[in-house]
Amino acid sequence: MELNEIYEVEKKFDAEIEAVAALAELETIRVKYLGKKGYITDIMSKFREVPADQKKEFGQKVNALKNKIENKIEETKLALEQKAIEAEINSTEMFDYSLPVDTETGSLNPRTIIQKQVVDIFKNMGFVVEDGNEVETDYNNFESVNVPKSHPARDTQDTFWLSNGQLLKTQTSAAQNRILRTYGPVCKVIFPGRVFRNEQLDARHENTFFQLEGVVVGKNITVANLIYFEKAMLKALFKKDIEVRLRPGFFPFTEPSYEMDAKCPFCGGRGCQTCGGSGWIELCPCGMIHPNVLKMAGIDPDEYNGFAFGLGFDRLVMIRTNLDDIRHLNSNNLKVMSQFKTKM
Amino acid sequence: MKISINWIKDYVDLSGIEIDELVKRFNLSTAEIEGVEVKGADVQNVVFGKVLKVENHPESNHLHILKVDVGDEVVQIVCGAPNVYEGMVTAVCKVGGQVCAGKIKATKLVGVDSCGMCCAEAELGIGSDDDGIMDIKEDVQIGADIKSVWPVDDVVLEIDNKSLTNRPDLWGHYGLAREFAVIFDRELKKMPLDDLKAYDKLPEIPIQIETENCFRYSSVSVDNITAKKSPREMAIRLNYAGMRDINLLADLTNYVMLDVGLPMHAFDNKIVDGINVIESDGEIQMTTLEGEEHRPPKGAVLISDKNKEPVAIAGVKGGLKSGISDDTNSVLFEAAVFDSTAIRKSARTIGLITDASQRYEKSLDPEMTPIALARILKLLKDIDSGVKVTSRLSDCYKKKYDKKTIEFDPKFIGKIVGEDISKEFIVKTLKALEFGVKEKGERLEVEVPTFRATKDVSIKEDLVEEVARLYGYDNIKPAPLAFDAAPQNLIKSIEYEYDTKLMLAEKYNANEIHSHIWNFEDFNKSHKIDTKSYVSLLDSSNAGQSGIRSELLPTLIRCLDENKNNYDSVRVFEIGRVVSGLDDENICDEHKKLAILFASQKKTEFELFTELKTAIVDIAKNLMGIDVELDKGDTVPYLHPVNSFRVKSRTADYGYMGVIHPEVKKATDKRFNVVGLEIDFDKLANTVAYARKIKSVSKYQAVEIDYNVVCDKTLIYSELQKKLSKFKSKIMLGYSLVDIYQNEQTLGDKKSVTLRFTLCSQDHTLSGEEIEKFRADFVEYITRNGLEIRG
Repeated sequence: MELNEIYEVEKKFDAEIEAVAALAELETIRVKYLGKKGYITDIMSKFREVPADQKKEFGQKVNALKNKIENKIEETKLALEQKAIEAEINSTEMFDYSLPVDTETGSLNPRTIIQKQVVDIFKNMGFVVEDGNEVETDYNNFESVNVPKSHPARDTQDTFWLSNGQLLKTQTSAAQNRILRTYGPVCKVIFPGRVFRNEQLDARHENTFFQLEGVVVGKNITVANLIYFEKAMLKALFKKDIEVRLRPGFFPFTEPSYEMDAKCPFCGGRGCQTCGGSGWIELCPCGMIHPNVLKMAGIDPDEYNGFAFGLGFDRLVMIRTNLDDIRHLNSNNLKVMSQFKTKM
Repeated sequence: MKISINWIKDYVDLSGIEIDELVKRFNLSTAEIEGVEVKGADVQNVVFGKVLKVENHPESNHLHILKVDVGDEVVQIVCGAPNVYEGMVTAVCKVGGQVCAGKIKATKLVGVDSCGMCCAEAELGIGSDDDGIMDIKEDVQIGADIKSVWPVDDVVLEIDNKSLTNRPDLWGHYGLAREFAVIFDRELKKMPLDDLKAYDKLPEIPIQIETENCFRYSSVSVDNITAKKSPREMAIRLNYAGMRDINLLADLTNYVMLDVGLPMHAFDNKIVDGINVIESDGEIQMTTLEGEEHRPPKGAVLISDKNKEPVAIAGVKGGLKSGISDDTNSVLFEAAVFDSTAIRKSARTIGLITDASQRYEKSLDPEMTPIALARILKLLKDIDSGVKVTSRLSDCYKKKYDKKTIEFDPKFIGKIVGEDISKEFIVKTLKALEFGVKEKGERLEVEVPTFRATKDVSIKEDLVEEVARLYGYDNIKPAPLAFDAAPQNLIKSIEYEYDTKLMLAEKYNANEIHSHIWNFEDFNKSHKIDTKSYVSLLDSSNAGQSGIRSELLPTLIRCLDENKNNYDSVRVFEIGRVVSGLDDENICDEHKKLAILFASQKKTEFELFTELKTAIVDIAKNLMGIDVELDKGDTVPYLHPVNSFRVKSRTADYGYMGVIHPEVKKATDKRFNVVGLEIDFDKLANTVAYARKIKSVSKYQAVEIDYNVVCDKTLIYSELQKKLSKFKSKIMLGYSLVDIYQNEQTLGDKKSVTLRFTLCSQDHTLSGEEIEKFRADFVEYITRNGLEIRG
């Protein structure tokens, strides 16, 4: 065995490693030089034949060659891997990142969306949220809320009377008596619901629409409280300070009764389409609960009092959505209704 | 209702107050003003002119060439009015002036110079007559501006009638003037009236009231009326207030209605010389002043003459026969108050809602009748000095309102308003509103004026409103409510409603609809949907449907039907109410239901069915914590008899779901596969939820083994589960369904159900022996139970 042989192997390796183009070839080379039957093993096996004086140098040379081969293979492997990734990257086709995506989802009736927002505000203010039937008795809908027998609202022209003597509730107030009895005499309750009026339909009138009504009952409640409360509620609803004004109104279930107008949040009171040019939006009929209503709910009006207010959902929806025809809200027109999605 | 500020100013001095301020304060204190119209602003430089010469236009067969004296000059005007004649005095808009239609310039009409325009009433906005130019009979100075003689300039406010519903006193200018007087702290002048006492010696008109629905009937008769036309000022006011001038007597009754607030009527005294107020028997026919035939309903109040011949529908409209005409010179004036409900009913039934009936509906004050008569006599005598009153005040006062007094502590007002309102302010305000106020120590005794006592004011809370509205709501400082930290009760069925809707919309791509509560009978019939309606509307003219629905799903099928041509997939839902029947006391049994409908032209019925089942199980389980499952049982006739099932939990039955009946499908649209669900939402939401608990997780590796269990094709999965339920193994965590394979050639009437078993131990890694033992046990169990394992 001669040192020469080591140089031969090294030369051969240098040539072969130089020519490697793929990782698989590299493995072949590794086996060929470093494997159990490879050149290095082969050389090492001849160690015995090396003269004693050359053994040291021989050993050193073989070890050096082995290290060199190992390092070179590792180095080449990294380089080839790097190349392979580059090749992969270079051969990658770019996506058409501009393609449209499908975000299709179902939809909620816009009333549901607004109702959720409004109800959340009242919940934050500590209100109980209640519900009520749609078919009601004369007593609940009229008598218990102080609507006298001869009141025009009781005419068939305004009320859908039913064959069994009941009626479709004309106002959310129909639930007031039950709610005051359940929660009174100290309570804060809202009760959104669907109401019905025997009216002809047009773009601004529906016979079926949504309202929200609320009552606050306790001791020493004042008109000043009512104004404060309405301002706070409208501020939360429109997310800005809203100027309000109270005007005298007339409802049998409140005394005094008011119409609460909000300074138009869209034009700031200058007059626009939404407010019909007046600068004010009639939003909230309200008033101090009539003592007869409290009495009929078993609450002593000399000890307790409170206020009640209404909010027309459909009006809010029309304002918020620019919907031009109220009839859509009760329609099966999915072309319109499916546009609302689930948030607003 | 339209009100004229000139008219108001007859009764209260409003000088120094801008219109804007007037409107604002009235809005805040009394009623809503919906519009402000400045009258006369567009009438400029219109003078009285005299037509000197009328010549035919050479090129036109309807135009005339006029020479008109307009005071300072004679101008040539080309005019098309048919009524023009030489010597006529008319209104002339000079060049540079303006009428409602626009500015007047010198121009050529069919080749002839025209310098000005002769005007019709309508062109000046002061009347309704536009048949010809004004033929002015009054003694006027030629060349004078019409505005210097006639009250053309005025401001008209339009008040929202609805906001006057509870204020019968505000349906006339005098009552409104009282409000302005109080708002602006000015004096309310007295209304000029004739002295009725002067006629006490004259004969009485016989009046009888034979109905409960007439409070009071008062009358006076007058003879020798020669004037036919109303003075211009009165005519203009009537027009500005939204009425037309007709003839003196008709105008007078209208004027007094708008003045005092009480409708009046004038009968021809030659035809009507006595009054009987009766009720209709439902048969009597009447021809009204307009010549229309009406049959007043039974019980409607009628005015008849002494012979019980009806001459007017009380409070609504006069009759033709007894009506006044241009040559009437002797009349009987009616001033009466009828029951508000009775008048409303007869007006609505007949379909004649008039200025009079609108006012009577508001419960007018019977104390007004002599005032209205004294007022009309005063006006008539001022216009026509030769008239002769031929009867005394003839008055039948059948029903009187009780005098209303309210005693209260004035501090109550401040307590409710939340402001410190002084007793002095309260007393002053109430007195100005003509309430009688007596101080009784610290307390006040207040007497309600009759014109507010018919229904409006009766309790101390009503007085809070009177004082507060004049105190000014904008003067009230908002004050927060007392703090209350009590947590509020949440009602599950309400809380879950929104969450359910959101889940259906966002996870199941469904659209929420709100449908009417009607039972769409025709649709249901034509679509073979057999559903009941337990209660119907008495008047269905506006609803278009007569019954109330008992089920919600048919409405969704209707929704599909209306959208089937626009979509190949329709997914809709609704949470709504239905009437499921009547209870023993005939009260509706109402339920809040959830209905869902999935329809598709691409998906199979089974795919849709599975999606729908997923949705309801998902909602029940993941939202509400309730396990629901389907079970065999009767559903509804419009669902498939085989593939429709009950939706149940262990404790309750909520409703049903399934494929729609082939007949309904055929009637709707064969292209669509349709599945639907309807459940009682309240019942589901109120079911007690199970407690959600976390299972402990083993740290040792689990092993999964699949078995193909072969069983009869008809064996449903839940039955297979039952068969497997007795198999017990300590290391089995559970199993799940992977696949169901059916192939007639290889399996015949059997099917292969692939189940994946998960094996694991809490305390060690499973050994090969343990797994082998499980295999052996399971195979043995399967064969023992008449099943087999394949492959």
